[in-house]
Amino acid sequence: MLTSDSSQTGPAPLAGAEHPVADFEDLFHNAPCGYVVTTNDGVITTTNTAFATMTGYGCHELVGRRFADLLTPGSQLFHETRHFPVLHLRGRADEIALVLQRADGTHLPTLVNSFVVPGNDGAPGEIRIAVFDSTERRDYEQDLLEARRAAESSESYVRALQQASSAFTLADTEEELTTAIAESIREAFTATHASVLLINSDGDLELAAGSHPLRDAEATIEAAALAFGRTVAVSNSDMADSVVPGLTETLREARLEAACATPLLDKGKPAGVVVCYFGRERHLADNAIELMETLARQSAHVLARLRLQEQLAELALNDQLTGLANRKLLEERLDQTLATVIRTQRAVAVLFLDLDGFKVVNDVCGHVVGDSVLQQVSERLRSVVRTADTIGRYGGDEFVIICDDTDADAAMVIADRIRAVVREPLVGVPDSCPISASVGVALLGAGTNPAVSSDNVLQLADAAMYTSKNAGKDRVTIVSV
Amino acid sequence: MPTEQLSSVRQRNNVTVSGNMTGRPMVFAHGFGCSQEMWSAVAPSFEEDYLVVRYDQVGAGESDLSAYDAGKYDSLHGYADDLLDILDDLDLTDAVFVGHSVSAMIGVLAAARRPERFGALILVGPSPRYINTEDYVGGFEQQDIDSLLDALDANYLGWSAAMAPLIMGNSDRPALGDTLTESFCNVDPTIARHFARVTFLSDNRRDLRNVATPALVLQCREDIIAPTAVGRFVADEIPNSSFVLMDATGHCPNLSAPAELCNKIRAYLG
Repeated sequence: MLTSDSSQTGPAPLAGAEHPVADFEDLFHNAPCGYVVTTNDGVITTTNTAFATMTGYGCHELVGRRFADLLTPGSQLFHETRHFPVLHLRGRADEIALVLQRADGTHLPTLVNSFVVPGNDGAPGEIRIAVFDSTERRDYEQDLLEARRAAESSESYVRALQQASSAFTLADTEEELTTAIAESIREAFTATHASVLLINSDGDLELAAGSHPLRDAEATIEAAALAFGRTVAVSNSDMADSVVPGLTETLREARLEAACATPLLDKGKPAGVVVCYFGRERHLADNAIELMETLARQSAHVLARLRLQEQLAELALNDQLTGLANRKLLEERLDQTLATVIRTQRAVAVLFLDLDGFKVVNDVCGHVVGDSVLQQVSERLRSVVRTADTIGRYGGDEFVIICDDTDADAAMVIADRIRAVVREPLVGVPDSCPISASVGVALLGAGTNPAVSSDNVLQLADAAMYTSKNAGKDRVTIVSV
Repeated sequence: MPTEQLSSVRQRNNVTVSGNMTGRPMVFAHGFGCSQEMWSAVAPSFEEDYLVVRYDQVGAGESDLSAYDAGKYDSLHGYADDLLDILDDLDLTDAVFVGHSVSAMIGVLAAARRPERFGALILVGPSPRYINTEDYVGGFEQQDIDSLLDALDANYLGWSAAMAPLIMGNSDRPALGDTLTESFCNVDPTIARHFARVTFLSDNRRDLRNVATPALVLQCREDIIAPTAVGRFVADEIPNSSFVLMDATGHCPNLSAPAELCNKIRAYLG
């Protein structure tokens, strides 16, 4: 007797007269797989003994229950959201892995074939399901799967680190670096937003790269991370207020739930913050926080290197005593200026000045005072020219000033101003050792020969300076080039 | 529209438009695990009166997989952004939004943000949170979601594709070799894993009370994915909402009881 609603009868006897019906029932119930028939929406109407045995329930207990009820919760989710729709749309679904939850609570991995039998004349159809025990394969495969997943999980972190390292190493500028950091972090943590904020010269956090949804907010997690000097994580908006008062509301207004920020520390000093925001609750495990901190540490190192390089580059072009352009930078600027003059025929004045009486100061008062004189004069030179003009220390007590857009009259005004400020008393220098400036000016402009080099210009200005010096010092000589 | 070039939004979400071009818009959104095909027994019956819009969530069906940005789609807000993009792109207002399963919540988030686009929300089997807490029954525990991921792996990535034919003795049957990964309800396996996590680990209970649009909760009996108590919770939280318990059972009335589903939607819209 088939188990089914008592009003229903079993399937019609199969053709093949040598088997009596009872044999078919036996074949059915003791088939090498479970067999289940359900209604169109999944309520069991018929089951064989083999299936009942798999589940640990009696056949009669199964009829009237939903097939999905016999599955583990994970398989229920899969069955209802994926298996059932595909089965309905396609008419059949084969080799689906589902786990049965037996009457005694234990699990039985199975493979399932099923197909839909449409009803006649609009009557609802039914679903026929064959269920195969797949315990052994499944255990074996499950072990493999878990091993692979564990490997992938740690591998994904290692990969994130490797990718980040190479991106960081390739970065030549702060912008490239911070962009690489923000991208690495966003990818590694599937964050909705990730950004790098750097502390600027005013001591404020400034967005350097990435997307940051809360720049105008008063309550931020990055401020907290900086204040505490360590990683701060908020796993959901409910707890946010306990970490940063006001953050709960701020996050919710931006449709965010979680956030995490790690300071970028350069030799223990904060240089900035890396911050992630998440669109839903996120509990970052210890190894995730560790990854974030490792990335931040690496970034901070590279940032420090870039900044050092920048400093070195600056040092290479500036005179260490006075901070003025050194000879190398002066010559570069002069080359650029010459090219501009020849292209635009704009008037440019190149002033060459030498301090009168400097050697005496050096001899009488010593080199410390001599150095101080050079620094004081440098300061004064800065005060009498425009900021766009280039002032350089050419060597010893010689200075060169490149004044753009300056004709003979204007050059004379500037040279006179220079002479005036140099004559002012200098700290540490006795009145008995007066200092003044001899100035030579080379004027460039419409008449300048395109073949002239910056060396030529400097030689001519230098020669004009000597003319002033030989004519009695503290005066100006102008030549056109 | 045949010669008109598809906008990037329409391409991204494989938006299909059919029915009465002057009718009220009705937008159908599918849930986790399938594609817009989920509505193939329901949507056509509205085509006479409604401008029927169907679309695929990114990662499903014929959507543009290259548009998948894990960060964006790490919360349902990313999917709500897409829905709003579609409504903007087609310039739909007073739209009837019909969302199944997780898409019901996607509609809730979108309507809470931009109510001017929506006229009514039909929420089929909605659940704002699947995981139980101390004072809330969502129906599942965290480890159940992990075991769903196992099921996904087993069926997409792991062994069923390779081993099942051996176990079932039909390894010489190429015609049936195309398993769940093909033919119907295409989903990208990697995206499906992530979408599963986002779907079943999100908590959007708080967003329900921000919905001003009139809403209908359609609840099936014996729905283990979205139990009746959860449906009632959704209806209690959304201010202007009705709750209807259907005769259909299970989680997919759009497949198992499309006629009843259509009738219930019609009855609500009047």
